[in-house]
Amino acid sequence: MAYYIVRRLLIVLLTLWVASVIIFAMLQVIPGDPAQLMLGINATDDSIAALRSQLGLDVPLLQRYLNWMSGMMVGDFGYSYTYGAAVGSLIAERVVVSLPLALIALTLSTVIAIPVGIFTASRRGTATDTTAMAITQVGIAIPNFWFAILLVYIFAISFRLVPAGGFPGWDTGLWPALKSLLLPAIALALPQAAILSRVTRSALLDTMAEDYIRTARAKGLTAQHVLWHHALRNALIPVLTILGLQFAFLLAGTIIIENVFYLPGLGRLVFQSIQRLDLMVVQSVVVLLVASVILINFLVDLAYAWADPRLRREG
Amino acid sequence: MKNALRNKNFLVGIFLTGFILAIALISFVWTPFDTTKLIIADRLKAPNLTYLLGTDHFGRDIFSMVMVGARNSIAVAFFAVGIGILIGVPLGCWAAAKRGFVDELLMRSSDIIFAFPALLSAVMITAIFGPSATNAIIAIGIFNIPVFARVARGAALSIWSREYILAARASGKGAVRITREHILPNITNILVVQGTIQFSLGILAEAGLSYVGLGTQPPDVSWGRMLNEAQTMMSIAPHMAIIPGVAIIVTVLGLNLLGDGLRDLLDPRLQRER
Amino acid sequence: MASPLLKIKDLSLKVAETKILHDIDLQVERKQIVGIVGESGSGKSLTALSVMQLLPKVCKLGGLIEFDGKDLLNMSEKSMCSLRGNEIGMVFQEPMTALNPVKTIGEQISEGIRWHTNVSRAEAEERARHMLDRVGLPSSKYPLDRYPHELSGGQRQRVVIAIATALNPKLLIADEPTTALDVVLQAQILDLLKELVADNDMALILISHDLGVVADVADDITVMRKGVVEETGPTVQVLKEQKHPYTAQLAKASVHIPAWQNRAQKPAAEPLLQINELNKTYNGRRTGFVSRAPDFTAVNNVSFSIANGRSVGLVGRSGCGKSTLARMILGLSKPTNGAIQFDGKVTTDLDDNAMRASRRHMQVVFQDPYGSFNPRKTVEWLVAEPLFLEDENLTRNQKRERIAGALTEVGLQADAMKKYPHEFSGGQRQRIAIARALITRPKLIVADEPVSALDVSIRAQVLDLLAKLNDDLGIAFLFITHDLSVARAITHEVMVMDEGKIVEQGRTADILDNPQTQAAQMLVDATPDLQQAIERRSANN
Repeated sequence: MAYYIVRRLLIVLLTLWVASVIIFAMLQVIPGDPAQLMLGINATDDSIAALRSQLGLDVPLLQRYLNWMSGMMVGDFGYSYTYGAAVGSLIAERVVVSLPLALIALTLSTVIAIPVGIFTASRRGTATDTTAMAITQVGIAIPNFWFAILLVYIFAISFRLVPAGGFPGWDTGLWPALKSLLLPAIALALPQAAILSRVTRSALLDTMAEDYIRTARAKGLTAQHVLWHHALRNALIPVLTILGLQFAFLLAGTIIIENVFYLPGLGRLVFQSIQRLDLMVVQSVVVLLVASVILINFLVDLAYAWADPRLRREG
Repeated sequence: MKNALRNKNFLVGIFLTGFILAIALISFVWTPFDTTKLIIADRLKAPNLTYLLGTDHFGRDIFSMVMVGARNSIAVAFFAVGIGILIGVPLGCWAAAKRGFVDELLMRSSDIIFAFPALLSAVMITAIFGPSATNAIIAIGIFNIPVFARVARGAALSIWSREYILAARASGKGAVRITREHILPNITNILVVQGTIQFSLGILAEAGLSYVGLGTQPPDVSWGRMLNEAQTMMSIAPHMAIIPGVAIIVTVLGLNLLGDGLRDLLDPRLQRER
Repeated sequence: MASPLLKIKDLSLKVAETKILHDIDLQVERKQIVGIVGESGSGKSLTALSVMQLLPKVCKLGGLIEFDGKDLLNMSEKSMCSLRGNEIGMVFQEPMTALNPVKTIGEQISEGIRWHTNVSRAEAEERARHMLDRVGLPSSKYPLDRYPHELSGGQRQRVVIAIATALNPKLLIADEPTTALDVVLQAQILDLLKELVADNDMALILISHDLGVVADVADDITVMRKGVVEETGPTVQVLKEQKHPYTAQLAKASVHIPAWQNRAQKPAAEPLLQINELNKTYNGRRTGFVSRAPDFTAVNNVSFSIANGRSVGLVGRSGCGKSTLARMILGLSKPTNGAIQFDGKVTTDLDDNAMRASRRHMQVVFQDPYGSFNPRKTVEWLVAEPLFLEDENLTRNQKRERIAGALTEVGLQADAMKKYPHEFSGGQRQRIAIARALITRPKLIVADEPVSALDVSIRAQVLDLLAKLNDDLGIAFLFITHDLSVARAITHEVMVMDEGKIVEQGRTADILDNPQTQAAQMLVDATPDLQQAIERRSANN
């Protein structure tokens, strides 16, 4: 078990490192000079050179990469000139919007999808099952940002139940803040829930066709009991895989959704920084997002080992 | 063939996909109105008998725009899938044939690519190289590569363990020849099914990118682009946003149903029973 | 006289409009052992699942199944659940997949006990421990917290038997319980079933495709074919008299010895294949930071030779290394060390290109007639595949002629070449596989369990074909099998392999009639023998 965890952990670190190199390299090939861009066409050569050295753009490539990495190790994410603030504090400000949003969406999607998946699998072929599956089939096809626009139109513009966008901040109280995250979370969660419930259902049905289910039934256990006590845990592995993938998808989804709702989150931050060529912000936020995806996948790997004893002793 | 006519998913899927493809093709020769002409007098009309699906803020006919937009949306998704298949499938087959180090390297690299939320990276790529439909294709295509590589590898590995591969090796055939003669024909089905899934994801991704302004650029039309322009008009002309969304849903739904239907029809386990 | 424990009357089973079982009658008395025998597609497993009421929903049943006076077909699912596992237990064919991989064996055994009896967890576990002892897995070595993947196939089947018999059911149904196991394990599991049934006054329905297995165990026997009961009666009587033509045909096929002129032939002097101190070692897998599982020696210092035109059997239990050895001979796997000399050439160090000439003279036939063909190619393409090894370029017509010739030699029509493999039956496919091996006119054919997956009547025909090929073409054979009756039918010499080593070799009759080593002795004792079983049983009556 310890070997399994340590091996996974080493892979996580390696993946993280390679990812950081890729991100860094990608941002080096941006056409145009950020310093030039920030100062406009009328800037003098001297002022551009000064800004370049301030931005740390005048040192060799490798040195720049190392500076960035060693900075991040001690929590120094650099300085954003377009925002005039430390990137670290920018991230801290934004993460309190994006993280709750992603978590609410993930929770919402899971608590809807898994019961739907179990329910439909146990009533396979009935009208309930067919209807629910038809709904999920459409649900998968709906782009979440379009769904978001529709939600805004119905609940914010027509009925005025919730704000159409913006974020009042957590210090205005829990409810107003949550209220402004509600629609974005639903927009993110429902299409994901459609996928997850289909995966849960089909994983359960596949498992129910296994030989050991017949063995369990031959013991006299009822079909329901076998579903809950034998099939569910075996069906969990594909479900966990999708959950891991969905987290990455939700993170990316926040970029667009935060734009629809004018939420000051990480997605919007990275989107705006790309447009302003604020490299320091972009590379740090992207590394952070990628790291969280890798971390989630590591947790999923650990969950695999919990769900399947065959993995505990293997590498 | 008889089975195809009995498979509801397949029938509905092929109908919807065929319908969207048809309107995209027809748009090359005919549209109800010219989408490049702006008739400001007729702007923001709700659906009516002249403009079946209404008009946008420049007075362009939305029905015609949906037809023309289909071209771009489909083209981006199509080429992105093409990139994924042309690069991913050979890589996956190579890994399955070589095993060991090559395989490990491929799997770990695809892990790394999967660690980048696809849309985030697509946003980065299109932002860095400039927003355009071509760059959207590349950005979406890159993420199709590991998908197809993994699917091809997994399917190829299971074929490699069959006895007929041993028979082929006993006939002196090398890995390349075996891959061509035995592996590829037997994994095509799986690749076709995955292809329809990636195609539908490509439509969604193109829509997302164009919606945030990083995909298709005006004056070109795509469904995502139409949604982008519709957002600010939401309170006065909701049909501008609803209609392109429905077009996207119909296409993606059609492709997904087609994929499900094909998977059932091409499943060798079902074929044996026939 | 008391009513029978199980009474099946006019049982029919339909899927959609197709009738699969036709008016099945079957009776099982208390404490009686009933064997059901039939080839694939006979409906024997479906009959068993009908009793358990565990058929897929698409199956529609008609007729009567009465168990202990209760009408099972009209019973509620709830009452059926209280019957299953409690009064009727069932053991399945495939032990590798019959246990839930994420639950310990203790959980899986005690689960049924707790479900039916309301005993405490501790008591259920105590009884589970006792059951494991009873089926030959002493709890000191096999504690309750073992997972199925930590056990071998034979051990898993013992766990399944423990689950099925934990509550002392009145009836145990065993559906091909030993088919997936090698002969030695088969004998052990059959002994265990016999003991359990006798000790606990259970009745047993033993389903098998193998008359030899049933002949030794069953009181009564029912022979089925294509969903119909062909014959029913006391085992000894049915098998001794063989009145029913189908029973007679089955019995004859399962002891079939082909007419084989070369049987008495003297071995040629010069060896065709010579193996010298061959080894294959696999590195143990990594289990920790520094620890590895111990290396595994699959083939250990093996030497032997096969002369031109000889048929040699390589027999042994599953996992003894026989298939690994075959792959090295065929050049599909590199030996760790040692040398293989074929047709005067050392092939061990040759690369693929240099190997071509040797490969042309050495072909292969595999076990699984389904898995050994690419389903997307025509028979013409498939049979022609080894022609890739020919140096000259054949014209299309020359190729066609060779393919037609090979197909005719194995008893198929030349026009079979236009069809796809799925259009043929299992036996025909095995003929196609043999045609593919013949097309380069090889000197040696390595056949890895060539008849184990076939029904007995088809098996007899394929054995005849192989004997004829040796007679007519003088092809040498290396037969790999775990079934001694195949070795007896078609080999001159036999080699017994055990744990990677060849422990005994010599003339087939000598070894099989008078085995010297323990490994060979075990194989011989465990092999079911219909003739002997009938004699033994009649003597006892």
